[in-house]
Amino acid sequence: MIHCEKLTKRFGHFTAVDHVSFSVGKGSIFGFLGPNGSGKSTVIRMLCGLLEPSEGRATVAGFDVARETDQIKSLIGYMSQKFSLYDELTVHENLTFYSRLYGLRGAALAQRREELIAMTHLKPYLNRRAALLSGGWRQRLAMACSLVHQPQVLFLDEPTAGIDPVARRELWDLLFEFSSHGITLFVTTHYMDEAERCSHVGYIYLSKLVVCGEPDDLKQLPVVNPPGTRRIDVTCDHVTVGLQAVRRLPGVRTATVFGQSMHLLIEEGMSEDVLREALARHNIPHADIRPIAPSLEDVFVALTNNPNGETQ
Amino acid sequence: MKPPFRGFTAVLLKEFTVVFRDPTTLFFMFFPPLIQIVAFGFALDNDVKHMATVVLNEDRTTESRQLVEKFVNTQTFRVVGEVQSVDELSAAIREGKAYVGLQIPPDFTRNLNAGRGAHVQVLIDGSSSTIALQALQTAMGLALRESLLTTMREARRTEMPVEVRPQMLYNPTMESAHFFVPGVMGIALQIATVFATALSVVRERERGTLENLLVAPLSRSGFMLGKLTPYLCISTTMAAGIFVVARWIFGIPIRGDLGALFLAVFLYVFTLLSLGLLISTRAQNHMQALQMTMALLLPAVFFSGFIFPIETMPAFFQWISTLIPATYFIELMRAIMLRGASFQDFWMHFVILGGMGLVLFALCALRFKQRIA
Repeated sequence: MIHCEKLTKRFGHFTAVDHVSFSVGKGSIFGFLGPNGSGKSTVIRMLCGLLEPSEGRATVAGFDVARETDQIKSLIGYMSQKFSLYDELTVHENLTFYSRLYGLRGAALAQRREELIAMTHLKPYLNRRAALLSGGWRQRLAMACSLVHQPQVLFLDEPTAGIDPVARRELWDLLFEFSSHGITLFVTTHYMDEAERCSHVGYIYLSKLVVCGEPDDLKQLPVVNPPGTRRIDVTCDHVTVGLQAVRRLPGVRTATVFGQSMHLLIEEGMSEDVLREALARHNIPHADIRPIAPSLEDVFVALTNNPNGETQ
Repeated sequence: MKPPFRGFTAVLLKEFTVVFRDPTTLFFMFFPPLIQIVAFGFALDNDVKHMATVVLNEDRTTESRQLVEKFVNTQTFRVVGEVQSVDELSAAIREGKAYVGLQIPPDFTRNLNAGRGAHVQVLIDGSSSTIALQALQTAMGLALRESLLTTMREARRTEMPVEVRPQMLYNPTMESAHFFVPGVMGIALQIATVFATALSVVRERERGTLENLLVAPLSRSGFMLGKLTPYLCISTTMAAGIFVVARWIFGIPIRGDLGALFLAVFLYVFTLLSLGLLISTRAQNHMQALQMTMALLLPAVFFSGFIFPIETMPAFFQWISTLIPATYFIELMRAIMLRGASFQDFWMHFVILGGMGLVLFALCALRFKQRIA
């Protein structure tokens, strides 16, 4: 559905997107991750035809983003970063405006509007001004507005930024529903838990695409699982003290705090007793140690530190 | 196939709703121009009358007192005090108590009766040139008339050798409001309209809604025209309000054809709204839009003939004035309202205004395309 080949965007001397290549299949949920300023929004804007690529090419639904923007426009929906809506207009009027903008008239317009209201549960808020909606409902309205013309691809630029956890969960339920209708979703985020929900993920760092693929495949990459190492979870009291205790031990490659526990990458032959002893010396008598699979965060950390994917 | 004005109706209906839901926009479109008209109409008055004058009469005769009387009768001067010395006279002007000092020397009547030149000293505060000029002309005119009358008596002639009989056409009472209000109309309409479109697009850019519009399949001209039309209606209504104020508050006649008058308003407002759109293609935020608008509109205040006549400007500034839409509009307003001119008399002005509007509008559509390409 989406193909990028060495897609590049320069603003003056600054290269915002540097030779990015990837493909997104029809019906998939593609999570595009990266820190702020890494080039995520620039890629989306190029794919929507808002910016012209400086180099390379990209196609959406088979149409070239640089030359065939008009064809692309009717096939894509775009929800920009700030859920931009007309604050002075009511929910109903916002929906009507976007429907008219996409050429819907009369009965067809009314029917599509009802469908979207039902899908997003906006019914109780129809006559409320957009300015008075809470974050989660604004976002639903913005999403409904971007779907008026039944697009094949929906681009969402950080749809969950600044939204409470309940609204976030509900949004994802809604996204899965769209996906079940065959809509291809392209979502940028910097929440790792959201990335885990995607069928495919890409990670962009300092304008370059570091990795792209299915989450499970990425977790099997050798750079994430260097031969002769294993990942463990250590649950104990005073986890920050514990981290200081174990991180300098020989055999511990990486150590990160994860809530009430630590995730360690240790050498295969390292004994768990060595860890327990080190913790005991720091007055942490009990520790629960179990093996774990790498998370996507582990994948991205490993790849950021070692972008070429070479094993150490 | 892409219709040339795709998205026009959607944008038009939305814009109308937004404008009428946000009373501040309407308030700022209507209120300042009306205030400007009223304020300028009343305050801008260059008919200089009743200037504060101090008198130093060292002659103290009937003739000298009659002379002072004649000065007052011109309506230009108003005696606010008598002083006893030259020093006091100049002090009064320096301190701003009077604009004019009239000094009649002790030998005034004696010289007059003896047929010698009788001198009168008139001190004028030159720091305000309009006032000074008026005082100078009135004083000179008075002296000339007195001299002539004396000479005629001596030559026993009863009629002036040459007499000019001026007749003021179109503004018989020389009301300066008649001159200023059509000009203020041009300036007041200008600020309200250019801001309106410039800000309405910039607001969408700031809020991010512009991006949503750009990914939608609407045409540039459809978007621009949809943005412009509501403000065109509002501005034309506003102009009608201004005409009402001009007619009923300032008593300025509308002698010409109303159709021509509103055609002029329509073309002028269209040009200004297009200029506002053009600004919005460059400005990234409110602040920039305001600055650009001010920078572009300021020349019109000086070079449009609003206050200073274009004919007396150096060639370069005359050339600048031909580029300013307000120049044509103000001239049309004066011609149609005061002189009752018809469309045929000034068709070239209409063509130029309309041409400017179309060029600016086309420029917007082009520039807008480039920005997001």
